[in-house]
Amino acid sequence: MNQRTIIFKNRIEEVERIAAFVEGVSEELDLQPAVVGSLQLAIEEAVVNVINYAYPDRTECDSSLMAKWDDTSLTFILSDSGVPFDPTRAADPDLSLGLEERPIGGLGIFLIKKIMNEVSYEYINSCNVLTMIKNL
Amino acid sequence: MTAIIEGRIDTLTAPALQEELTNSWEGVTELVLDFGKVEYISSAGLRVLISAEKQMASAGGRIVLKSVSPVVMEVLEMTGLSNVLHIE
Repeated sequence: MNQRTIIFKNRIEEVERIAAFVEGVSEELDLQPAVVGSLQLAIEEAVVNVINYAYPDRTECDSSLMAKWDDTSLTFILSDSGVPFDPTRAADPDLSLGLEERPIGGLGIFLIKKIMNEVSYEYINSCNVLTMIKNL
Repeated sequence: MTAIIEGRIDTLTAPALQEELTNSWEGVTELVLDFGKVEYISSAGLRVLISAEKQMASAGGRIVLKSVSPVVMEVLEMTGLSNVLHIE
């Protein structure tokens, strides 16, 4: 199994490095551009949640994103030491609502769940660990 | 009025789109956003579209998305926004 890890700060500019990281991993796997885009989307949503909400006092902290893959699946493991938060428990948005009734936010976590085949959360050693698996 | 949008609409670029649209829609009843060159949109971009459409609608106008690429359309469909936004 191959793997790569990127360490990032809780600064919004890091989104660009994260997108490049996902692209680099995708190139090694020779994934189709549409799949690369959807993976970048899911990972951006997960990482932005960490950057925006994990450290409410805005202290600069390191978080990590590991990618590991074989022929059958690509797994991303996102770890941060911020406030405990389990995104898998967030309620799905009601897609039947008209625009007027729709809240403006709440789509990010839903997109992660739609794009990835498996999403699971653990709180281990004071760290949030979000595992996202895409079947290949 | 038509605005041509290009590139990626992500967490970093969405605020600029928000600002641009806010400046554009005053006095406009139909704002057409040409999405032909948009290759990526994340929830930050979707939030801009939802809030812009809400504001336009409250003033009696609307936003129309034109030439949406398959990749962006997939995101709009996944989130159910393809049913509530005007797409040509």
